[in-house]
Amino acid sequence: MNPRTPAEIRSRLDFWQAFSGALLAVFVCCHLILEGSVVISPVVTDFIGDWMEKIYVAQIVAPVILALILFHFWIAARKMPFRKGELTIFTQHSMALKDVDTALWIVQVFTAIVILFGAFFHVYGVMSQMPLTVEKSHIRLHEGWILFYTVFLPCTILHTGIGMYRIGVKYGLISKARRKIWRAIIWIGMGCYLILGCCALTRVWFY
Amino acid sequence: MGRELTFEIFRYNPAQPDIEPRMQTYTLEETPSMTLFIALNKIREEQDPTLQFDFCCRAGICGSCGMVINGVPGLACHTQTKDLPDKITLHPLPVFKLLGDLSVDTGVWFRNVGGKIESWIHTKKKFDPEAQEERMDNALANQIFELDRCVECGCCVAACGTARMREDFIGATAINRLARFYIDPRDNRDAADFYDLIGDDNGVFGCMGLLACDNVCPKQIPLHDQLGIMRRMATVESVKAIIPDFIRKKLTGCKSVKA
Ligand code: SF4
Ligand code: SF4
Ligand code: FES
Repeated sequence: MNPRTPAEIRSRLDFWQAFSGALLAVFVCCHLILEGSVVISPVVTDFIGDWMEKIYVAQIVAPVILALILFHFWIAARKMPFRKGELTIFTQHSMALKDVDTALWIVQVFTAIVILFGAFFHVYGVMSQMPLTVEKSHIRLHEGWILFYTVFLPCTILHTGIGMYRIGVKYGLISKARRKIWRAIIWIGMGCYLILGCCALTRVWFY
Repeated sequence: MGRELTFEIFRYNPAQPDIEPRMQTYTLEETPSMTLFIALNKIREEQDPTLQFDFCCRAGICGSCGMVINGVPGLACHTQTKDLPDKITLHPLPVFKLLGDLSVDTGVWFRNVGGKIESWIHTKKKFDPEAQEERMDNALANQIFELDRCVECGCCVAACGTARMREDFIGATAINRLARFYIDPRDNRDAADFYDLIGDDNGVFGCMGLLACDNVCPKQIPLHDQLGIMRRMATVESVKAIIPDFIRKKLTGCKSVKA
């Protein structure tokens, strides 16, 4: 095995971008399902929260995920239209082209920024008021956090769904022939998660 | 009587920089089976002999008549006016050098990326003009032919958000072109060689999977499926030191993967 030059190490970034993105996507899916358990009964959610705290999963996972988000953002940011004039060119291009996939990329960039900051607030809000209980969440929502979650939740779901679709397309896992069907599956999946998330928020609000 | 079509056409001649770029309006009566190519020729013959645009084969083969039609890149000779609204806006393809009005120079761009990706068969074999041509499996020959159908019209490049933002990006057409050599058994280059050519952000990793290239290609080349294969090859190659060889070979996922 030859040692790689810096240029070659740079090119590994794409792999790490997809890899960290996939890990985060799996995390978001699991996290939302566990949170969603509140719809069945707050007792279940409290039980899960308590158990996660006892075995220190919550305390370990939270900083790791934050670090992963930072890492993922840092790698993906090299593609973002931050250089001079790029955002204007891209937005004009996407508007003229009326191409859904091109427009969705702007959505990815926007939601990425929301998630980057939102994740820190979210973790800070939750971890600074341990233990993890539905009652604490209820209080937080009524303290005004509900507004934060009505933005943070859809952004996270959109970014995860579109990101997963894009990994599939970029790595040739979703071929042209199956693109339509996969797009439908992803939209339906995002819809289900959004409904679950909204139901969970409502349930906690009226706890 | 046919519809009255209104054409809004971009006008600018770089040789006359003192005349500002502008949009000029022409009207024309639609005739049966009218293509944009026919319409533009009619305008040039009957209304404005100074209008510049390119064409040659009129059959979607030469790739010279690419332009932006109502925001979407396409071939003028391949586009029927009946599929367009009454108002048609035409711009030259972006990214490429503007020669005048709708005419751009795609040749220099394609020659340049062709050089970058070394778009020719690399072999150590000496060419023997007397020898019979080597046989090739029919299915493989078809696969190569499929990738060779690109007419270098430039529509995919013009539709690519990445190419619009980053001028060094080689575009889907070049990656598709390299895929052709990747599966060609006569080419002696291996995955590491191909990786060296396209394994960076100007190459296959620059693509953000926006898919517009794929959606506009008038030859319906499944550009993105090829990009996916090449990206997988390059990614697997980039993590050579991390992933064991037997998994690497499985992941590469191209039928005739070279060592
Ligand atoms: S898929 Fe890649 S090459 Fe094609 S238009 Fe998008 S960024 Fe460009
Ligand atoms: S790949 Fe398609 S759109 Fe791109 S240059 Fe070739 S024929 Fe034109
Ligand atoms: S004139 Fe040759 S492709 Fe249109």
